[in-house]
Amino acid sequence: MTLPHLPNYLRTHRKQLGLSQDEVAYLLGAVSGAKVSRYERFARGASLETALACEAIFKRQASELFVGLYQKIEKEVAARAKTLALRMDQQKPNPQTSRKRQTLIEIASAGSKQPRS
Amino acid sequence: MNHTRSKHHRILAIAPSTRGLGFAVLEGKANLIDWGVKSADGDKNARSVKSVEGMIAFYQPEVLVMEDHSAKGSRRSPRIRELGQQIIIATSSRNIRAKLFSREQVRKAFFADGQGTKHSLAKLLAERFPKELASRLPRKRRPWDSEAHSMDIFEAVALALVFRRKNEKRATFVSD
Repeated sequence: MTLPHLPNYLRTHRKQLGLSQDEVAYLLGAVSGAKVSRYERFARGASLETALACEAIFKRQASELFVGLYQKIEKEVAARAKTLALRMDQQKPNPQTSRKRQTLIEIASAGSKQPRS
Repeated sequence: MNHTRSKHHRILAIAPSTRGLGFAVLEGKANLIDWGVKSADGDKNARSVKSVEGMIAFYQPEVLVMEDHSAKGSRRSPRIRELGQQIIIATSSRNIRAKLFSREQVRKAFFADGQGTKHSLAKLLAERFPKELASRLPRKRRPWDSEAHSMDIFEAVALALVFRRKNEKRATFVSD
């Protein structure tokens, strides 16, 4: 049995760089380290701006920094892609719909892959 | 088949000491995702147990690893022995397995002859995790120095790695 990933690994990456929460907060344009603490404790979700700023600070892709959250979203998208692909099956096939269907199947299968370690 | 597949995904290792405790969280094959020390004053045991409970709730580890204070040759104080028991009770009440290793088992895992100082072990670990631990490596203790609090981190990391290695060996053996 494997446990799911943590929603984010900001604390790990911050500690690896030897930065304090206050310093990361300053880099993110936040007032104090309390906000960073809330991100690290999963008590607050990060905005897209914050996620991209984290990417710039830690030199890691946002999907890697927020891996647990990314996997959750990926699964949700995959489920919706599956539904959409099923809906497409009911339509008359033509080159465009078959291409779309292929794309949706790929998205749906990506969400069912094993989590990255 | 000879692939090593680890059964345990997240390990929390605790190294209690006179000032509080050191901790390390290992995830996956050997990713150190958190490490540090928690100081405790006043009722040290109660505060330390509370810290451990907080970490269990946060990281939801599958296994908690600690030093076996009842092992032959262990010279831990009665308070720390008591703390060890309290931590084991706290983990079992949350359905988390506790695994204990003696100091000797830890040494044998890292040194072929089973001989090595705390400092040489810490140095090895700092080389293994340079980004995480190199900055926390204390200078070599002189006879009149007290032990650096950060040494607890290295003890916790060592315990986690011993568990990981033993677990991997078992997994390899089973899949052979």
